[in-house]
Amino acid sequence: MAKRRDWAPELLSLPALVAILAVMGFPLLYLCWMSLHRWSMIGFDAPRFVGLQNFLQLVQDDRFVDALGRTFWFTALGLASNLPLGLGIALLMNERFPGRAICRALLILPMVATPAAMGLVWVIMLDPTLGIVRYLLGGIGIHQPPLWLSDPDIVVPTLVAVDAWMWTPMVALICMAGLSALPTEPFEAALVDGASVLQRFRFLTLPLMMPTLMVAAMLRVMDLLKLIDIVYVMTGGGPGHASETMNLYNYLAALSYDKIGYGSAIALVLFALVMACTLVLIRLRRPAS
Amino acid sequence: MSPQRRRRLFFAIAGWGVTFVLVSPFLWMVMGSFKTTVDFLAYPPVFAFVPTLANYRQVLADNSFLHYTLNSTIVAAGSTGLGLLLGIPAAYALARYRRTGIGVVLLLARMAPGIAFLIPLFVMFLQLHLVGSFVSLIASHLIFTLPLTVWMMVGFIEAVPVEIEKAALIDGCSLVGVLLRIVVPLTVQGIAATGILAFIASWNNFLFALVLANESTKTLPVAVLGYIGYNSIQWGTLMAAATFITLPVLVLAFCVQRYIVRGLVAGAVTG
Repeated sequence: MAKRRDWAPELLSLPALVAILAVMGFPLLYLCWMSLHRWSMIGFDAPRFVGLQNFLQLVQDDRFVDALGRTFWFTALGLASNLPLGLGIALLMNERFPGRAICRALLILPMVATPAAMGLVWVIMLDPTLGIVRYLLGGIGIHQPPLWLSDPDIVVPTLVAVDAWMWTPMVALICMAGLSALPTEPFEAALVDGASVLQRFRFLTLPLMMPTLMVAAMLRVMDLLKLIDIVYVMTGGGPGHASETMNLYNYLAALSYDKIGYGSAIALVLFALVMACTLVLIRLRRPAS
Repeated sequence: MSPQRRRRLFFAIAGWGVTFVLVSPFLWMVMGSFKTTVDFLAYPPVFAFVPTLANYRQVLADNSFLHYTLNSTIVAAGSTGLGLLLGIPAAYALARYRRTGIGVVLLLARMAPGIAFLIPLFVMFLQLHLVGSFVSLIASHLIFTLPLTVWMMVGFIEAVPVEIEKAALIDGCSLVGVLLRIVVPLTVQGIAATGILAFIASWNNFLFALVLANESTKTLPVAVLGYIGYNSIQWGTLMAAATFITLPVLVLAFCVQRYIVRGLVAGAVTG
C-alpha cells in the first residue's frame, strides 16, 4: 500500500512490541541471567554468580532426571492415546447420523472448561471408595480397580487419561477440519476399484491425513511437555514424586524451595526441550506435505 | 432394515456414545452440585435424589468466593481489553504490510513454558512491590492474550477486502482512521470472538494466579483448591463451585465454537 507511510505500520505494532518486550522479551533475558546465579528471595545473601553450575547440577539431581524421563513418558502416552482416538472420533463424526451437529458442538466442552476445576471433579470421580468410576467398573466386573491417584505405577496413566479427556476432542476437531479438506477423487476411484474400508483407511485416509496429524501432534507435544495444571491439583506430583512433571518440579524448585537460579536453569532446559521437539516435528512434516 | 439405515443407526449409537462419555463428567459435576452430603457419601452412588440448593447457597454465602469471582472477572476483562487494544493495530500492520518478525515471536510464545516467564516476572514484580496486584496479573496474562489476539485478528483482517481501505487512504483518511472507521467495524464479529477466547484463556489460567496473586487478588481456579482440605473434602460445595466456575466458560465457548480450535492453536498456555 501507500509507500509514503512506511513508518505507519511500525507505529501501529509498536505498542504490542513494547508490551511483548516488557512481559516476554526482557523476562526471558532476565531468566538467562538468573540461571547463572545462586539466587534466593528469602535469604539476605545477594545473588551470587556461579556460571554454569546450575546446569551442571541438573545432571546430578535425581529428582530432575526422573521428572525429565517422566515428562517424556507423559508425552509418549499422551500422543499414543490422543492421536488414534482423535482421528477415530473425527472419522465417526464425519459420518452422517441424526444429531451429529450437536455432538460436534459438545466436543468443545472438555477443552474449554477450567482445567483446575475439572481436575478436582476427576479427583472425586476417581475416589477409591465412593467414586463413580469404581462403581461403573464394578458394573462390568472389575471389583478391585487400582488406586488411580495413589498407586505410583498407575498415577501417570491416570493423569494422561484425564488429559486425554480434555484434549482428544481438540485433536478430533483438527482432524475433522483435515478430513473435510481431503480430495474426493482418490476415494471415489478406490470405491470403483473395490477397495475395502480398511484398505481405503490404510492407503488413502491415513497417508493423506499425515500432515494434519502432524499439526495435532505438534500442538499436543508442546502442551504435554509443559503439563502442570491437572497434576498440581490432582496429585501435587505424588505419591512421592511419582507423577511430578518437569514443569511442576520447576515450579516447586524455583518458587516453593526458593532456588530461583536453579529453577531458572530448569525453565531454560524445558523451553529448549519444547523448542527442539517442535522443530523436529516441523521438520518431519515438511516432506509429507 | 436397509443396510443404509442400519449403518446410520450404528453411527448414531457410536457418535452419541462417545459424546456422552466426553460430556458425562460435566453431568456428574452438575448432578453432584445438587446433592446433600448424605447423598454424596452413599455407595453405590445415587442417581435419583431430592436436589438441594444448599451447596450453591454455601458457595455464594461465602463472601470471599464472590470476591474471587470479581477478581477473575477483573483480570480476565483487563487482560482481554488490553490484549485487544494492543493486538488489533499490530494485527492490522501484520495483515496488510507483511511484517514477518511477529510470526516467529508468536510461535516462540506458544512454545515457551509459562514458568519461564513467571520466575523472572515474580522477581521483577517483587522488586516493584507489585506481587499480588491486579497490575501483575493482568500484565502477565498478556503473555497469552496478546499473541492470541494478534493471531486471530490477522485472519479476520485479511478477510476484509483491501480496496475499501485503499479508497479511504486516497480520499485522505489517515491510517488510524482506516483502522478505526473501516477495519474495526468490519471485523466486529471477529473481535468479539477473539475477545471471548482471550477471556476464556485468562479465566482458566491457574499457574500465573497461583504465583502472582495474593489472598485479596486470588482468582477462581486457585480459590477452588481451597475446597480440598488436607483431611476433609467438601464434595458438594466443591462440585457447586466447579460448576459455578466452568458454566460461564462453557456458555461463552458455545458462542464461538467455530473459532475454538484456531484460538487454542495460538493461545493455550497450559503452564
